[in-house]
Amino acid sequence: MSKNRRVIKYVLILPAIVYLILLTVYPFIYSIKISLTTLNIARPYPPRYIGLGNYAKLLSDSIFLIAMRNTFFLTAISICAEFVLGFIIARIFFIAASFKLKGIGFLRTIYMLPMMITPIIFGLIWLYIFNPTLGVANYFLSLLGLPPVSWLGKSNIALYSIILVNVWEWAPFMMLLCLAGLSAIPPELFEVARIDGASWHQSVAFIELPLIKRVIVIGLLIRIMDNFRLFDLVYVTTGGGPGSSTETLSMFAYRQSFMFFNVGYGAAASIIILILGIILAQVLIKYTWGKEEYA
Amino acid sequence: MHKREIKKTMIYVFLLLITFISISPLVWMFMTAFKIRREIFAMPPVWIPKPPTLNNFISIFAGDSCRTPFIYNSLIISLSTVLLAVLIATMAAYGFAKYKIPRSKDIEFWILSTRMMPPIAAVIPLFLLFRNVGLLDTRRGLILIYIAFNLPFAIWMMSIFFRQLPREIEEAAVIDGCSTFGLLRHISLPLVAPGLAVVAIFTFYFTWNELLFALVLTSRAAKTFPVSISEFRGVVNIRWGPMAAASMVHIAPVIAITFLIQKYIVAGLTLGAVKR
Repeated sequence: MSKNRRVIKYVLILPAIVYLILLTVYPFIYSIKISLTTLNIARPYPPRYIGLGNYAKLLSDSIFLIAMRNTFFLTAISICAEFVLGFIIARIFFIAASFKLKGIGFLRTIYMLPMMITPIIFGLIWLYIFNPTLGVANYFLSLLGLPPVSWLGKSNIALYSIILVNVWEWAPFMMLLCLAGLSAIPPELFEVARIDGASWHQSVAFIELPLIKRVIVIGLLIRIMDNFRLFDLVYVTTGGGPGSSTETLSMFAYRQSFMFFNVGYGAAASIIILILGIILAQVLIKYTWGKEEYA
Repeated sequence: MHKREIKKTMIYVFLLLITFISISPLVWMFMTAFKIRREIFAMPPVWIPKPPTLNNFISIFAGDSCRTPFIYNSLIISLSTVLLAVLIATMAAYGFAKYKIPRSKDIEFWILSTRMMPPIAAVIPLFLLFRNVGLLDTRRGLILIYIAFNLPFAIWMMSIFFRQLPREIEEAAVIDGCSTFGLLRHISLPLVAPGLAVVAIFTFYFTWNELLFALVLTSRAAKTFPVSISEFRGVVNIRWGPMAAASMVHIAPVIAITFLIQKYIVAGLTLGAVKR
């Protein structure tokens, strides 16, 4: 029995562990190795080992620094807007639920559809909406008597347009988390607050936000990680342009590796993204599952 | 009482408005999919196509912008991934949930953290490795990777489901002489079947939507549906009608999935951190 059990538990878990080591850990190690060379897959001659040369070059590459800045900027603005919108809308859904309005669950599911569909398709829809000649965005502006805007074509506007689409798609995610948090607050608390004559903003500041803090932080951390590797949306809308005004870190590594074939350089950029990703993942895991027993 | 009714109506109207704004891009895409070329290019815009045409859909399935081989690829790849990932994950999750494994918590957190790695960091080395072993542009290559990137999610969620099972049932079965695999097959699995279904659907959903790996690792034979949709952008004059039609075909199962697993979406997307 006992020996059998000892064998069985490893039979159960080893396939998964070996698989993950082979397809994630090993490639990462291989990637570090490549990032120390001049490997370019479009050139016939063998790569040279240059130590940390690629990393040094990255830190003085103005496009990489722009990609870094864009990614930070996009992440910061997106998560703030998503949180504010998500919380307000969650609160309205919450009030509607407390009134027991019919069809609210159905409405909530419809409301979250944008985040469920792939960013490629959501981005393509917006490419059509933002189109300078046949898009509805400029049509609505013209109705208001405003001049047309080159939403994705101007370097000082394109990044904001991408943020708009990103927030549009992902505000529902923060809304769902806030709603889950609000629904978990004991109703007696609201009752007590109401009897004490608390106004709605006191309720928000002293009951709702403090009590759903954990959910909010988890949501923000997940969205920070998502935005740090943002690729699909930028790829289909602007491809990083115009110029490098919407270049993100993932886009930069992709372009270096698969458009310029500078795989060594691209790998070095991806390792920097990876390190940022590992730090964020550790923060999220510690915060979410670190203290209590999960499950 | 009267005031309450007014407030109720206002909230209703407001929520309807928010919901409509939220999905208005999708509605616009839906309308576009049924428009003829002239209506697509019309300014001021034609809101509702009349009469609606199916030509865009016909061109997707049979016409000059035929997408059927890529839809087929995506289906094969997604379904194979679901099958294999769920199988391997269920075994591992059962192991973690029911046996004492040294440092199991560390191992589980490590598995979870592989889920959170940026795909771009994996796709560069995998491209080179695949090139060396001839797995580029093959369905099985993509399936191999998708399994790896869905395993952490599936293991994590399945182990949550297994841990929720009452111990007494399994202990009773062991006393009755049930073997380990018999226990898993006849007692535990049927009990977590709903959870298993949710994990399988999520895995299908993630695979069906994935772009970056497919974009880099396939070119012709194994190209997936999302990649072929993203290619509408590549041409100088984007063919909006077929693009919209292809998008509608792609998101139809996604919408069905959303309604099917709506109760589990929060738990799924936060890896069980937020329950509902």
